[in-house]
Amino acid sequence: MLALQLLCNGIVTGCALGIVAVSFSLVYATTKIFHVAHAGVYTMSGYVAWSLLRHGFPAPIAFVGAIAAATALGALIQGVLYARLERRRATHLVVLIASLGTLAVIQNILAAVFTANILQFELPWGSQVFHLGGNVRLTMTQLLTVLVNVAAYGGVMWFSHGTILGKQIRAVASNPFLAEIVRLQPRRVHIYVMAIASALVCLPGILVPLDFGLQPYNGVTPLLTATIAMIAGGVGSITGAFVLAIVITELQNMSLLFIPGEWSIGVTFFIFVVFMLFRPTGLFAAAR
Amino acid sequence: MDFWFSYIALASIYVLLGLSTNLLVGIAGIFSVSQAAVFGVGAYIVAFFLMNETMSFLPALAIAALCCIALNILVTLPALRVSGDYFVVTSFGIQLLATAVFTNWTDGTGGANGLPGIPPPDLAGKALESSGEVVSLCVAGMGLGCLIFWLVMRAPFGRLLRAIREDELAVAAAGKSVLRAKVSAAALAGAFAGTAGGLYATFLSFIDPSSFDLDSSILLLTMVVVGGARTLAGSILGPFLLLALPQILTLVDIPTTVAAAARQLIYGVLLIAFMLFRPQGLAGEKL
Repeated sequence: MLALQLLCNGIVTGCALGIVAVSFSLVYATTKIFHVAHAGVYTMSGYVAWSLLRHGFPAPIAFVGAIAAATALGALIQGVLYARLERRRATHLVVLIASLGTLAVIQNILAAVFTANILQFELPWGSQVFHLGGNVRLTMTQLLTVLVNVAAYGGVMWFSHGTILGKQIRAVASNPFLAEIVRLQPRRVHIYVMAIASALVCLPGILVPLDFGLQPYNGVTPLLTATIAMIAGGVGSITGAFVLAIVITELQNMSLLFIPGEWSIGVTFFIFVVFMLFRPTGLFAAAR
Repeated sequence: MDFWFSYIALASIYVLLGLSTNLLVGIAGIFSVSQAAVFGVGAYIVAFFLMNETMSFLPALAIAALCCIALNILVTLPALRVSGDYFVVTSFGIQLLATAVFTNWTDGTGGANGLPGIPPPDLAGKALESSGEVVSLCVAGMGLGCLIFWLVMRAPFGRLLRAIREDELAVAAAGKSVLRAKVSAAALAGAFAGTAGGLYATFLSFIDPSSFDLDSSILLLTMVVVGGARTLAGSILGPFLLLALPQILTLVDIPTTVAAAARQLIYGVLLIAFMLFRPQGLAGEKL
């Protein structure tokens, strides 16, 4: 029964990381920036939700507030930092280092304000338990995580194929020069993409800590798993990123049956090395 | 006086690490946040050999350096064959994996409690007990490292590395193997980091995982960025400046619980500010 429970937990975490991977993939495919600071946006959104709840706001308002804050932060990073670096024709490496600096700044502001200790959400309805046949239990939070993130995946698919802005984003991603010529204004589209991706990463950013609690330095490992999922799925493929995130978390969770949990980062990394050696372009690369 | 001794010894060790990071980030143009992990591997290997009295200091240091060379080659080779960005993932992965090993492999590394009581280094059968002697050893290590770096950058190999930074395609068209040059730079970086690790372990006589985590890797990167990429002067300047920073922070009255976060926060701000306004650092070349 433990295996079945782990399987369920894997799907829950996998859906959450799937959205982290999808949002990262949106940024990476469009702006070509390896946006390490995304982990900071992810962590910050949870803290904003936590402190709004602490100040007595009802849960929906707290969550919307967190999404608004993350969206603003994402647009700010693109508008103030990345766009400025791009205007100066900074090399890829320079942008990457600036992104890492941003991550350090966000994480350590959080650590200075909220201390580095674990903070738990106090939402009684979150730990309400549902029994699915056998001894498998799912909490309300876990159920919500699956529903919200799968809905978000559907939303992204519809958005990028069915709306004008989505199509513009894909146009900028596939050929920035041509997009500039037909007056799509890549710089403005880049800001939209960062804002949308930051709003998206908020969903797992709030839902995962509801279960596991908040820590300022906890964003790096999910982001690493998400980037591995993006690469394994094929850069640019939204479905690839989402599906592979679930597969990787699932493998990670099943490995708990044989390997103690503190080594799960090893399992994730092993999957990455295997892909690197045998299928470096990813599984869904052809679907671009 | 003790303060100056430990400052100079630590700064010398970090200059070696700065050279190592500079070779990877500045010269080969590979973004790396796993240098602290390689540094840690060197430190733990030397600590293991000295504590079990298997061999004396210099052979242990040589083995540590060789292991770190092998590790760096192993890490860079598959990622460089594909794309530069994939190396970011490799680098983060290696760093987190190394922290997991240092913290959880209690039998080999002492776990989170670390390894106390590492014996002092010995040269030609004589243990270096006094702090003055150990500091001289670290400074000598730094001098040797700087000399090697200077010689390598003057050699044809150094020119090849510079050419790769300017135009990779042109170098490949001229019939030189870009991959081999980058991996060689990574190997040399491994040797520097491993040696620094051995010196660090014997100088402090205590190591624990917190010296070799992601934050330390960010510190190393900040040192190179502030000092300046691709130059010897930059690799020396950065560590000396940034190691003085915690001392300056003690003058400002902030609670100890916030101090660590405040320090890392300053590193982050420095990284952003230098990338925006002075990517070449204080004494470096274009990054």
